[in-house]
Amino acid sequence: MRIQLNKFGTTLVSRPSGKEAWLAFQPSLVNLSESEEVVVDFEGVVVLTPSWADEFLTPLHSRFNNRVTLVNTDNASVAATLAILK
Amino acid sequence: MRDKVITISKAARTLGISINTLRRWDASGRLKAIRKSPLGHRYYLQSYISEFVQDVDILARDWVTAPTSYEPKSEMYCRTRDVFQARLEKFQSRLTALAPLPTVSLITAVAGEIGNNSFDHNLGNWPDILGIFFSYSMRTRTVVLADRGLGILSTLLRVRPQLANSEEALKVAFTETVSGRYPEVRGNGLKFVRSIIIKNPFTLVFQTGDAILYLKKDDKDVNVKKADIFIRGCFVIIDFDSLI
Repeated sequence: MRIQLNKFGTTLVSRPSGKEAWLAFQPSLVNLSESEEVVVDFEGVVVLTPSWADEFLTPLHSRFNNRVTLVNTDNASVAATLAILK
Repeated sequence: MRDKVITISKAARTLGISINTLRRWDASGRLKAIRKSPLGHRYYLQSYISEFVQDVDILARDWVTAPTSYEPKSEMYCRTRDVFQARLEKFQSRLTALAPLPTVSLITAVAGEIGNNSFDHNLGNWPDILGIFFSYSMRTRTVVLADRGLGILSTLLRVRPQLANSEEALKVAFTETVSGRYPEVRGNGLKFVRSIIIKNPFTLVFQTGDAILYLKKDDKDVNVKKADIFIRGCFVIIDFDSLI
């Protein structure tokens, strides 16, 4: 499965909007097979902060662990956020 | 009410500069004209010109230190997070006209994290007025954020009761992963801010209580000093002049 984060917006900064994105996406995660990879695509995201990411990426990673792959992470605030969340 | 459109000569008179300077600023993106006539005449929004000459840091400081709360100018007041998000995106869009994408991305992220921190830590507990002051100046290339909330010491005392003063609290907030929103374990927003400032030609001034922090590129340590004036909430100036 590929999650295109820009479908949630291109300025992803607050905790409530990150939490809302996570909740809204739950139905799409229900039918995921046990071995399916989860690709998180940051293409098109202009601004990301740890607050938003912590509400979406942290629970995603807790649930799917090593099956999560992050792609297109070159944007400056995306890279800075991922460095802090590690 | 529709914004008034003014000529380049009126804009130049208001700003006290020459028409040629305005033409140069339009070309460099420092102050963009909104449109040009077929003959090449430039026009400006009255509100942009008025905003350009304001000292937003003084307005914010006056507001955050006033003994009694009052509503800031509506265009600088974000009563709720939704309003802040909309204004932040507008700022991002205006910055895009004069700065490369990495700069836009980093400055917006820093401002977004600090502004949202104010809402996260004061929701349901604002001592007087709800919300934050958020404004910026494209003239001085600064972003200003302020809140009349509880301040970092009060927030962190919930999880670090041994903190003695605002200076210690501010240092902890910028160096450790700690959240005043007990029982949450996260809380790395200001560490994120620091990580960006010290790698880029930004400067940051962050005051809470009677503690003030100055941070700039290549700073190894977090230097917190005692401030002259007490601010219960937070007052922040981000300077991005060197990044453009």
